[in-house]
Amino acid sequence: MIRIPNKLERVRDVDLTPKELIDFESRIKEQYETGNIPSPIHLSKNNEGELIQIFEYIDKDDWVFCSWRNHYHALLHGIPEDKLYNDIMDGRSMSTNSKEHNFYASSIVGGIIPLAVGTALGAKMKFSDKKVWCFIGDMTFETGIFYEAYKYVKNFDLPLQFVVEDNNLSVHTPTDIAWNRKEISVPDDVVYYKYENGYPHHGTGMWVNF
Amino acid sequence: MRYKDELIRSMEWLGKKENTMFIGQAMSYSGHTISSTLEKVPVEKKYELPVLEELQMGMSTGLALEGYVPITCYPRFDFFILTLNQTINHLDKMQVMSNGEMKPRVIIRVAVGAKEPLNGGVQHTQNHTDAIRSMLTEINLVVLDEPEQIFEEFQKAYERDDSKSTILVEYSKHYGK
Repeated sequence: MIRIPNKLERVRDVDLTPKELIDFESRIKEQYETGNIPSPIHLSKNNEGELIQIFEYIDKDDWVFCSWRNHYHALLHGIPEDKLYNDIMDGRSMSTNSKEHNFYASSIVGGIIPLAVGTALGAKMKFSDKKVWCFIGDMTFETGIFYEAYKYVKNFDLPLQFVVEDNNLSVHTPTDIAWNRKEISVPDDVVYYKYENGYPHHGTGMWVNF
Repeated sequence: MRYKDELIRSMEWLGKKENTMFIGQAMSYSGHTISSTLEKVPVEKKYELPVLEELQMGMSTGLALEGYVPITCYPRFDFFILTLNQTINHLDKMQVMSNGEMKPRVIIRVAVGAKEPLNGGVQHTQNHTDAIRSMLTEINLVVLDEPEQIFEEFQKAYERDDSKSTILVEYSKHYGK
């Protein structure tokens, strides 16, 4: 299930297929289970279609901010597969960042939100066409920093688009139980999709001896 | 040479740079000691924010990623510590986390509140310099004890080749000297 606000315009075709994304994560899974990756990994699965659809709205020059689970986002934003693969093998799965590709991922819940607001303000002040996309999970969506930032972005009409990726989990804690939430109320101008992740929060579900 | 005059001179110099902006609460309005040092900064360079310390620091880093050099102002150390997530987890780690590709330069002004002639109390007068310094890995931290240091340190913060960010700690109690 995906909801994209009508105001957004599709800007490009995405040349990656769901299978290519899944195959990439499978390669990483294999390397991790072999003990070749010296850091935690956070793999994606089951949201390939939604992300491909969303990235059709994201220009390659736009900024993308996202979380620790970022391999799909990095590939879809144009970070070359080899570079991403090498970064992950070097232990940088959680920070596959690239200035060249305007891509920043952080492992602190909500930490990217203020950065995205400032980047959007900078782009607006320079009269740039660049937009800023900020991908957050459903637990991050419930934090105070999101509401502070959302209000600021809206009031100042900053070129920042929030995307809520809802797997109803924070690590392994169900968000709806932790918040005693009956339903999630994502504003209409925020991109939203719901999915069930095919991997555990980190790792692959298999014990690895390093 | 007076402490406050040197701060004003430094801000005037920074205000003439094309890519700088002054960000925080009470930038365009009176409100605290730092506000009073921005009198020679062009009004279009001042960006007034609500009270949102952590968001302010992240916004400053984001602005730096877009090529600006923000001078981000915190009138009391007690307020600055609300920024620690953005300061320590992000700005201070960004060069490492981007394999050296991202080098946001932010100039951070933090004032230690005065105890005389009015004592602002325990929530307005703390000096957390040593604690903050112990947490930093990339950001440079300078304590402005003497007026002679001030212009040189702000100049260095703006021009340093490694593009590191700098926290400049100042003392409100020196403003009258």
